[in-house]
Amino acid sequence: MACSLPLLLTDDLQVDAPSGICSADAALVAALQRGSEAAFRALVEQYQDRIYGTVFSLLQNAEEAEDVAQEVFVEVYQTIARFRGEATLGTWLYRLATSRALKSLRKARAQKRFAFLTSLLSQPDNPRPDNIRPEPPDHAHPLALLEAQQQLQLLRVQVARLPEQQQVAFLLRHEQDLSYEQIAAVLGTSLSAVESLLFRARQTLRKRLQPHFRHA
Amino acid sequence: MPDSAFDPTPDEEWAALMRRLRAQPPARPRPFFYARLTARLTAPVPARPMPLPAWLRRPAYAVLLGAVVLTLSGDGRVLPPLVLPAALGGSSVPPR
Repeated sequence: MACSLPLLLTDDLQVDAPSGICSADAALVAALQRGSEAAFRALVEQYQDRIYGTVFSLLQNAEEAEDVAQEVFVEVYQTIARFRGEATLGTWLYRLATSRALKSLRKARAQKRFAFLTSLLSQPDNPRPDNIRPEPPDHAHPLALLEAQQQLQLLRVQVARLPEQQQVAFLLRHEQDLSYEQIAAVLGTSLSAVESLLFRARQTLRKRLQPHFRHA
Repeated sequence: MPDSAFDPTPDEEWAALMRRLRAQPPARPRPFFYARLTARLTAPVPARPMPLPAWLRRPAYAVLLGAVVLTLSGDGRVLPPLVLPAALGGSSVPPR
């Protein structure tokens, strides 16, 4: 991933760059490993929007996205000593963010399944637990779906139904504007695998959205 | 007059949808994200749960569990003694 950290940590910049990461990343990592609070603050301020945005794209819930984004930075704070620079800092952060967001999604799905099972045994008028996200509607009126926002909402619903790897690749490409190489680094896969993931994701989405397009 | 000539093709609709997706304002965390993060980092860590379940840590339950284990792991005193047949060199008289 390209270096994107215009840091102004003048006291921390005289550091030899480990192989694989650029000097700004290396300086930031070295400062973080020394326990510099200024470096941690700089890291958070540089990446908080991107990490939060990525997590929010996957979870579609502001509270959960905030919680997971915080978890990412807490993990960075606690494990930065073990960071050896095999990947760039940005790649590592995106990797943490996507894996934690997917874990949160799986947990929410498991809770939803459990809530469904318990609802079968309980009274039908029991309220739904607050921590279970309702399934977004996917059967809106076709005419209403012509509206741009509704089409986008439908797209998001369908993206959420893609397999995890395709979902992450699609969102990193189309919402975070990452290059194919960057996505490959985040997913720990090859460039051709990313091309394949994106091709299949687009194909599936187009197929599912086709009935809702205006010409249909 | 039908306006089918002006209807976008599926490719155009898809491209427009992708453009709209990219044009969406990015989701941002609420203000003071760093302050909330540092508060979380400095918050006292909750005590780790004990390796044993709570009910097992109660003495009464522990004693009861011990009694059950002792009862079930009998060493043969409650069973009738083993008597080997004479053909195998055993005694027909049960040992006292």
